Amino acid sequence: MSWLPRKKIVVPVDFSEESEAAIPTALAMAESASSLHLIHVLYPLDSVSPGVVWGDVNDEDRERAVKKKLAELADNAGVKEATLVTRMGNPGLEIASYAKEVGAELIVIPSHGYHGMKRLVLGSVAERVMRHAECSVFVLRRTDAE
Amino acid sequence: MRLALMAAIFVLCPLIMLAATQAPNPNANASESTTAESSTTTESNSAADSLTNTDETGDGAEKTEPASTATEPKEANGNADESLSTFRMTEKKVDEFCGQLNEYLAGVLFFPVPIPFTSKIEKKLDADGNAVLDESGETIYETKDQNATVPLSVFWLIIGATFFTIRMSFINIRGFKHAIMVTAGKFDNPDDEGEVSHFQALMSALSATVGLGNIAGVAIAIMTGGPGATFWMIVAGFLGMTSKFVECTLGQKYREVRPDGRVMGGAMFYLSRGLGNLGIGPIGKALAVLFAVLCIGGSLGGGNAFQVNQSLNAVQETLPAGAENYRWVYGIIMTIMVGIVIIGGIRRIAKTAEKIVPTMCGIYVLAAIVILIMKAKDVPDAFTAIWEGAFSAKAMYGGAIGVLITGFKRAAFSNEAGVGSAAIAHSVAKTEHPVREGVVALLGPFIDTVVICTMTALVIVITGAYQDKTLQHFVAADNGAGLTSHAMNAVIPGFKYMLAIAVVLFAYSTMISWSFYGERCWAYLFGDRASMSYRIIFLIFVFLGSIVSAKNVKDFSDLMILGMAIPNIIGLVLLSNEVRKDMDAYWQRYKSGEFKIMK
Repeated sequence: MSWLPRKKIVVPVDFSEESEAAIPTALAMAESASSLHLIHVLYPLDSVSPGVVWGDVNDEDRERAVKKKLAELADNAGVKEATLVTRMGNPGLEIASYAKEVGAELIVIPSHGYHGMKRLVLGSVAERVMRHAECSVFVLRRTDAE
Repeated sequence: MRLALMAAIFVLCPLIMLAATQAPNPNANASESTTAESSTTTESNSAADSLTNTDETGDGAEKTEPASTATEPKEANGNADESLSTFRMTEKKVDEFCGQLNEYLAGVLFFPVPIPFTSKIEKKLDADGNAVLDESGETIYETKDQNATVPLSVFWLIIGATFFTIRMSFINIRGFKHAIMVTAGKFDNPDDEGEVSHFQALMSALSATVGLGNIAGVAIAIMTGGPGATFWMIVAGFLGMTSKFVECTLGQKYREVRPDGRVMGGAMFYLSRGLGNLGIGPIGKALAVLFAVLCIGGSLGGGNAFQVNQSLNAVQETLPAGAENYRWVYGIIMTIMVGIVIIGGIRRIAKTAEKIVPTMCGIYVLAAIVILIMKAKDVPDAFTAIWEGAFSAKAMYGGAIGVLITGFKRAAFSNEAGVGSAAIAHSVAKTEHPVREGVVALLGPFIDTVVICTMTALVIVITGAYQDKTLQHFVAADNGAGLTSHAMNAVIPGFKYMLAIAVVLFAYSTMISWSFYGERCWAYLFGDRASMSYRIIFLIFVFLGSIVSAKNVKDFSDLMILGMAIPNIIGLVLLSNEVRKDMDAYWQRYKSGEFKIMK
């Protein structure tokens, strides 16, 4: 891995503080703000919640809402030119497959450092990204992680 | 991946069946539980008995099964001797396991709280522990030298509901008109954050509560507590309206709006965040986790297995004798119907089922009113029986306290006020004012208990079904749905078929709604990504509900759902000052005409 600025860096965003903090780190490694691809992966819609059964919650509206949030986030982080992407499905797999699709050179991902029950049940998105990605993955360790 | 999982689940349940029917030696399964071993001989005997019955009636049952499942009974008949007896064995073992689980939980949740100045009434027992009968064969009751006791969770609900009603200065009555206006959409603002309108949130919460509790539960209440239980059920319904107001206001206030616009709320959130604001975060967090665990249990028991079990009892009334040996067929059909929605993602089925529920409620209430009109001359006597039964209860119903407990317990189980479950559904309503959703929520126990449960109770009391000697087998088997079905059919011939359809639909929509509650709590504990594992467990319980006996299923349901009230009401009481302040502020603005009427 060379230290030259990269043309395509994927930054997964789940709107947590950690993921927001990953943007400046990624920017430092990128050629410019337009090299960044901010991706948010939505969980597939269930079929039993009141919003689905009685209301009109649907994937298009959800994606639109997330896009809007992503735009706000990019704006605040000073990376207005970044590409904003939403996907649906398993976060780890979707992030890895998106990176492959666009031919990204690097993925910068924060690790939440879940422990105990959540770790056991969920595993870690970062872990899954590392396992499936074909490019380099830069994992930002949370300072208070166990 | 999803498809593979779906397939795995649909294969899983029939596999359990297969394992049960193909085991050559009944003792092969006995190693699962040590207690099962001791009763093996008696089980074999009873299994053999049931087998004889099946041979006589098996053909009739086969004809009545739906066409899609016609092949399964044939298989079972193929080696009927072994398969049925081993199936009964497995069923007994599952049942025994549930029974044991109940014992441990009951020790805590049903801890008997003594009531001063009362005394316990119990059946008189001889040295061997058998009930003593008088000359006419009636059971003799005796007053013990101990105080009467109330199960901890029921005591909790009564105290909580009464406290909230006083603390909120009877918002259940004051807010009633406003509740109807809000539900009618007068204040709906489509731009507010949230997922559904006030009306839709109420319907969603109601579809979880209106169901077998109203039909089977009420019948069980009157069987065990006499007509007087009706009175206490209505009182519990009125008081419960305030508990519901408080929990749903908090559910809205502490909800979480996700980046995709979805809303997550409920008791888990107000317990952890609300109590966190009071500076007792760790306690709040612990209560939230306890609530979530019990809610998952409740969603598998009362919201699922109990529904399957009791709806099957009601359906069985409409099927010829012999069908009881094919309960698992219903289990499999239900498992598939629920599976295609929660795992297969076929939303249309859930949408249709849930939207039929209000119509079904209407038909049910109408039928009850027709029965009341047809039996108009018995109505005054029924009211007298209810009134007198409420205060001067007969010993056989456990004295006045026994009746009160039964009424409150069944009301709580039916309307879930104080249990905290509805807050999960109400939290997704579109509004900027948490109190407004709380006010809408108080209509829930009113419709569920004060209207629908009362209708069932009146029918059971007026027709005298609860004291009909020929119907005592329903009482003995705790088959509440069967009793209601019988009582209504006696007055409106053929209504049992209508009721069977209604009951299945109620059960189905309740299960769909509870799977949402359970899944939210599961996600709270294990994260959003873990939903699939919950859905699989849920489906297993759908199937178990069809084969486990009503007694243990009902007890397990009671324990879990009533247990949820313990962490929930602790939180509600601690946060009640905050709710009172919010309510007063909202009420002042409402009275001053500040809120625009949108339509």
